Amino acid sequence: MKSRLMALASALAFAGAAFAQTTLNVVTAGDQNMVDYVNNYLAPKFEAANPGVKVRAVGTGPGDSGSQKIYEKLSAQQKAGNADWDVDVAVIHQLASATMVNEKLLMPYRNDISAGKLVSRDTAKNALGANVDGYVMPMFHSQIVFAYNPELVKAPPRSFAELTEWVKKNPKQFGYNGVKGGMSGVGFVTGWVSAYSGIGDKLEKGPFDASSGPAIDKALAGLKDFNQYVVMTPGNAGTLDMLNRGEIAIGPVWVDMFYTWQADGRMSPKMKLALPSPGLPGQPMYYVIPAKAAHAQLAKKFIELAESPEVQADGIIKQFNWYPGIDPQYVQPKLDQAAWNKLFTDVSPQDLANYGRPFPLSPYFKQIVEGYERVVLK
Amino acid sequence: MAAARGSADRWTGVALAAPALAVVGAFFIAPLAMSAIVAFRGKGGGFTLEHFSKAFDLYTTDLLFTLAIVLLSTVLIGLLSIAIAGYLTLGENPRAVATLRWLYRWPLFIPFVVAGQVMRTFLAKNGMLNHVLIGSGLIEPLSAQSMLDWRGIVVAFVWKQAPFVTLLLAGAMASLESQHIEAARNLGARRLRVLLDIVLPQVRGTLLVGLVLSFVTMLSVLSVPLMINPNSPTMVTVDVAYRINTFADYPVANALCLLSLVLAAGGAWFYLRHTAKKIEAVA
Repeated sequence: MKSRLMALASALAFAGAAFAQTTLNVVTAGDQNMVDYVNNYLAPKFEAANPGVKVRAVGTGPGDSGSQKIYEKLSAQQKAGNADWDVDVAVIHQLASATMVNEKLLMPYRNDISAGKLVSRDTAKNALGANVDGYVMPMFHSQIVFAYNPELVKAPPRSFAELTEWVKKNPKQFGYNGVKGGMSGVGFVTGWVSAYSGIGDKLEKGPFDASSGPAIDKALAGLKDFNQYVVMTPGNAGTLDMLNRGEIAIGPVWVDMFYTWQADGRMSPKMKLALPSPGLPGQPMYYVIPAKAAHAQLAKKFIELAESPEVQADGIIKQFNWYPGIDPQYVQPKLDQAAWNKLFTDVSPQDLANYGRPFPLSPYFKQIVEGYERVVLK
Repeated sequence: MAAARGSADRWTGVALAAPALAVVGAFFIAPLAMSAIVAFRGKGGGFTLEHFSKAFDLYTTDLLFTLAIVLLSTVLIGLLSIAIAGYLTLGENPRAVATLRWLYRWPLFIPFVVAGQVMRTFLAKNGMLNHVLIGSGLIEPLSAQSMLDWRGIVVAFVWKQAPFVTLLLAGAMASLESQHIEAARNLGARRLRVLLDIVLPQVRGTLLVGLVLSFVTMLSVLSVPLMINPNSPTMVTVDVAYRINTFADYPVANALCLLSLVLAAGGAWFYLRHTAKKIEAVA
């Protein structure tokens, strides 16, 4: 009898301890490295500063479909009329953020945290044409750039017009991965259309106008001609592989992949980057807080930490080679010169501000990639 | 009395077959029917051919490309497996036969996705194959070219599927009466002639079945074309994945799936005709 009481008492004590611990649920779209970043880097810092809190990160998979799953989960809880939603912080892509703000699934929070004043880029207010001001904070920016082999290319093309001339003089030296092999190829195609359709601004800012079809198709017809002089690579990693093996001399790549490969020794340290005018697209991922997050106050503290210049410098830039989500001028003092130089040597913050563009609005985006199949591939 | 027992037997038969039929119905027939419905259903819910016309509009080249690649691979697999199985049956050097027997099965245990990855570095312009060719003086460095296009897909398919057909074929050849072969050899027939005129006609059925199964398997592989050559022209599986991942466009994806089902059905028709013949022959 006594032992049974003891067992009961210890069980209760155990339960009590478990209840004292709060779990902050962080759900993130994107590759496994996003989950690793939260679990291995952010969580220990946040748990140390907030005793009794446990951070649990879950990934929903890469690409817009990962964000779509988060949207579906929150939307279901909204429709069920739940008072407390089981996601406290979510990390999502631009496309989903527009839908989620529109359907009132998110809470405005940027003005409640001090790091909110540190963001400067347009992406904090505008997601592919939708107004998301106040609801989102960019976790990081990633950017598509040209990577090139300086031994083969002394002066890389500085614009799409120069590139078009360059490939004719150097056939089969430029490589990209089309539209079916990953986003670096898709980004090159949308960048091409922005440069040559004459409606670049409209593609990014809207409003959508279905009659833009002929302008887009005309730009794509030029791309079909351009394709005769280039190599098609198998995927985002395929472009990097071929560049590293010397099979192509230049091609569009994600800047964070490029630096990560160099850091791992999978890419020659000699390779360099260039961002051509009028620009290539990039995209942020956003921290958001669901409208009825169970632990909204903690969620704000968590994002405050994640957006602090220290974490942006050490975690986002140094460890993962992303561009910071907040204005680089606040991050620079927290970084040693070597790490800063590494990220900004080839592509300066000025280039990034001038030529780092958003992806086109989603209806234009669809029109462009489907146009590519119709005009370029057929 | 007899009639009652007959009907009881029939019910037992139905009961025994029911679980298998239920599995086939729930996991094969039902999804297939759903796929067909989505492929023919318009936005308003009515019947439409618009998804098929879009599929043909954008992907006719890819459909033909798929068929050509898979047919070419099937032919090459047939030739290679006849050569290997023939040597295993008729080879006279026991050590060479043993080595070949040990080696040829390896690709059977390697998944398609790994085969794709291996080929990606092996067949690249500055990949291992060209390094060996250049190193041995067979080609000039400048004439080295990347095989990461339709050739890469064919190489990966043949490499992966030839052992499977060889396995079936070598088994069938081993179970032949050896007197036929010995008689032919005694009469002075050379080994190639024995293979083509004596052995092959007797195992034709097995060869056909192996090739049809390979044909259907290759039609459905996504990983190899995705890793080697996802750009135009490419195989229909890549287009299906692309329609779903980029556009969430299930109707056109389903239309493409039904079209590749038509290609596979050609193989199935061959297969059924052959097995039906065999059953008739036994009966």
